[in-house]
Amino acid sequence: MPDLTLTNTVPQSRRVKLLAILAVAAVALVIVGPLFLDRFALNVLTRSMIFAILAITVDLLWGYTGILTFGQAAFFGAGAYVTAMLLTHVGSNPALLALGLVLSIVVPMLIGGAVGWLTFYPGSSDFYATIISLVVPIVITQLIYSGGTWTGSSSGLVGYWGINLGLDGYFRLAGLSLVAIAVAALVFVRSDAGRILTAIRNNEMRCAYLGINTNRIKILLTAILGGVAGFAGYLYANASGVVAPENAGFIFGTELVVWTALGGRGTIVGPVVGAIGIGYLSAQLSGDLPFLWQLLIGTLFVVMIIFLPNGLAALATGFRERARAGTAPRLVAEAPARPHRESDAPLLDIRNLEKSYGSQKVLEDITLSVQPGELVSLVGPNGAGKTTLMRCMTDGAAASGGIVRINGESIAGMVPNQIVARGIGRKFQVASVFESLTVAECLRMARTTLDAPSIVKTSDVLGLPQTAIDILRLSGLDQMLGTSVSLLSHGQKQSLELVMVVSLEPELILLDEPTAGLTKTERTTIGEVLKTLTAECGIAAILVEHDLDFVRDISSRIVVLHQGRLVLDGTVEDVVNDDIVKKIYSGGGHE
Amino acid sequence: MTLILDMLTSAAILFIVATGLLTIFGVLKIINFAHGAWLTVGAYCAVATAHMGLNPWLALPLAFAAGAVLGLLTERFIVRPLYSRPLDAILATWGLGIVIGQLITLWFGRDVQFTANLIPGTVDLLGTTYSAYRLFALVAAIALGLGFSYLMEGTRLGLSARAVIMNETLARALGLDTAKIRTVTFMIGTGLAGLAGVLLTPLTSTDPTMGVAWLVGSFMLVMVAGQSFGALALACLLLGGAQVIVSTYVSPILGGITVAVLAAIILRISPKGFSRA
Repeated sequence: MPDLTLTNTVPQSRRVKLLAILAVAAVALVIVGPLFLDRFALNVLTRSMIFAILAITVDLLWGYTGILTFGQAAFFGAGAYVTAMLLTHVGSNPALLALGLVLSIVVPMLIGGAVGWLTFYPGSSDFYATIISLVVPIVITQLIYSGGTWTGSSSGLVGYWGINLGLDGYFRLAGLSLVAIAVAALVFVRSDAGRILTAIRNNEMRCAYLGINTNRIKILLTAILGGVAGFAGYLYANASGVVAPENAGFIFGTELVVWTALGGRGTIVGPVVGAIGIGYLSAQLSGDLPFLWQLLIGTLFVVMIIFLPNGLAALATGFRERARAGTAPRLVAEAPARPHRESDAPLLDIRNLEKSYGSQKVLEDITLSVQPGELVSLVGPNGAGKTTLMRCMTDGAAASGGIVRINGESIAGMVPNQIVARGIGRKFQVASVFESLTVAECLRMARTTLDAPSIVKTSDVLGLPQTAIDILRLSGLDQMLGTSVSLLSHGQKQSLELVMVVSLEPELILLDEPTAGLTKTERTTIGEVLKTLTAECGIAAILVEHDLDFVRDISSRIVVLHQGRLVLDGTVEDVVNDDIVKKIYSGGGHE
Repeated sequence: MTLILDMLTSAAILFIVATGLLTIFGVLKIINFAHGAWLTVGAYCAVATAHMGLNPWLALPLAFAAGAVLGLLTERFIVRPLYSRPLDAILATWGLGIVIGQLITLWFGRDVQFTANLIPGTVDLLGTTYSAYRLFALVAAIALGLGFSYLMEGTRLGLSARAVIMNETLARALGLDTAKIRTVTFMIGTGLAGLAGVLLTPLTSTDPTMGVAWLVGSFMLVMVAGQSFGALALACLLLGGAQVIVSTYVSPILGGITVAVLAAIILRISPKGFSRA
């Protein structure tokens, strides 16, 4: 499809080149650094560069994924203590140093996995993650205090033999490790898979309704970044020759957040600059004016959080966002990735569904079944329970009674992403998209579960089902693949969300007022699209809609809800001519 | 007997320390991470009162006033822009805490300060000799709790505050000056923290970082308690009691993490904590 080729792969390859040049320059600086720096500067910078690795991990969690964490210090401390304890109590030789390296990564990863599992569960809140991130360092610190001679208690461990590298060697080791981790982080966050982190921060519910298991991703991320922090701890334990309980404490965890915030969250370079810059300046200035310096940092931090939440790198980011727009992948039609349905059971089968809040019954005795290819409209006055019914079809924990089956399988107890994986796509009433991503990136999110994204590169093709491409063309979004979603109009966002849902290759689409707030033309377009999807592609659709003319034009069946009960289920003719419906809609139901 | 008194008084002290934080979180939904700093400010009010040779009891109103005035400034200039960004509000108030800690250090030095005990000595209670001050703390906590229930249930401000808690948009539509209610609530919260700081002085050493140690514990208790003072009292009794038991029978160091760990587990099982009870 040459007419769709808006692609310019040039910026991407240029970016790779730029990154390579920066990395080589950084490596060169790190290697020649010891020739020019004095002992004091070498010491300070070695430590700061190790801390910068931690700042990167904080940034990936907080800046990118939106999980505010004070807990990275705990993983760092765990890695440092594992190393120091091994070298102190067992001995020091190359084999043990290698074992220490492995353990200092594996142990924090295991702790991280456990912490992640505890923290991220269906329905967990952002606050809870922050709470846990405070508890973990406190627990680790107290364990260190209560460890007696094993951990050296409050005086820490000192006097063990680490890798014999000397001051210059440690500077280079820390520097090279930092460059390697920074480059890896940069490559990852710019990759297709890396964009998932931003998507989670933007709109975690949409991610779940695209079938992405966000909790698993967050647990994995916590575990991996715990390992990275543990590795930094290994470097620190070796380079400094001393570990202390403060290294694992939550105060240190907050310092990491401060550096990340000042440098600029959501960029990788910002936190690195923040950690090294503040670390170095602190060491230089704190001798002369220790409290004033802290005062200055504190004040700057407060001011930045209020007025410039994206840190000093915000200006540079603005520049980058502009550069990012315009890189659009090429659209390619994909053969269906989902196996065809084999079940004889109805696509959707609801029996005696109930939903109540306390004694208030919102839905009562709903029984409804939908076959492939049907376009069922759900109508009824405000408060009839339409949206609640939609929710009960996509969240196994929502219903209070009755049963919902998809292709014969009950969804009770399933979380949204599991239900989506069974072929249900849901479009929300208010367009639910990812504001920080581009149109193409949003669409790629929708394909994540069918077409695993690369963790190293940005693909220059975007494979979508033919129907999705058709809707893109109809709505004109195919010309805006590289545009940031925040620039789209209300109607365009509605269309985008619809394309995202269609890209999931669902068997059943749930649409909550897809035409609300749209112009007449946009409305007609969506109507046509829905007819094509159901009549030609065999997808079933359930539509909540207020516009009865619109409903009459496109539906194959209409279901009327009134005060939580299903009062009518029939063809368009049946319903439009029915007395009950006339009464409900003319408000004459109470005579 | 001593154990029971320890449990009760520890819970009382936790309650005193946490009320200021709960007041602010309950109404404003903001975690005030400068809470530790307000405690410190209160404690240093006690130090300053002692330096000036005034009656140590005067430190209480002084600390409440100092906390409230600082709270006014904080709400106006730092917290107000951040109501829609609760995680950033945690950070900004934490930064403020750093600033206040450093200012106190510049003013009073970083050394540990000692103040005269408000109520020295011990009393005999049912055959057990016990610290008079800890018993006073228990009384103070009960008075504070009752006073607060009266404030919330019996006054116009309390009614307005409850309206804001339940439905702020509606409260504003009904003509309540929600911005003022927020400011006053914040001032009461910081004032109470200052008060708690004074009450802490006989129990702990006073130094510029003393507040941080109390911050996390009260934060956890408030998270478990949600919005209700009754729930906070319950949380303090249960978790504070557990802390005393673990400290006595297992190890004081593990006792120090009891509150945090139990709070984390409670919130994992029941994300709304005790507020539903």
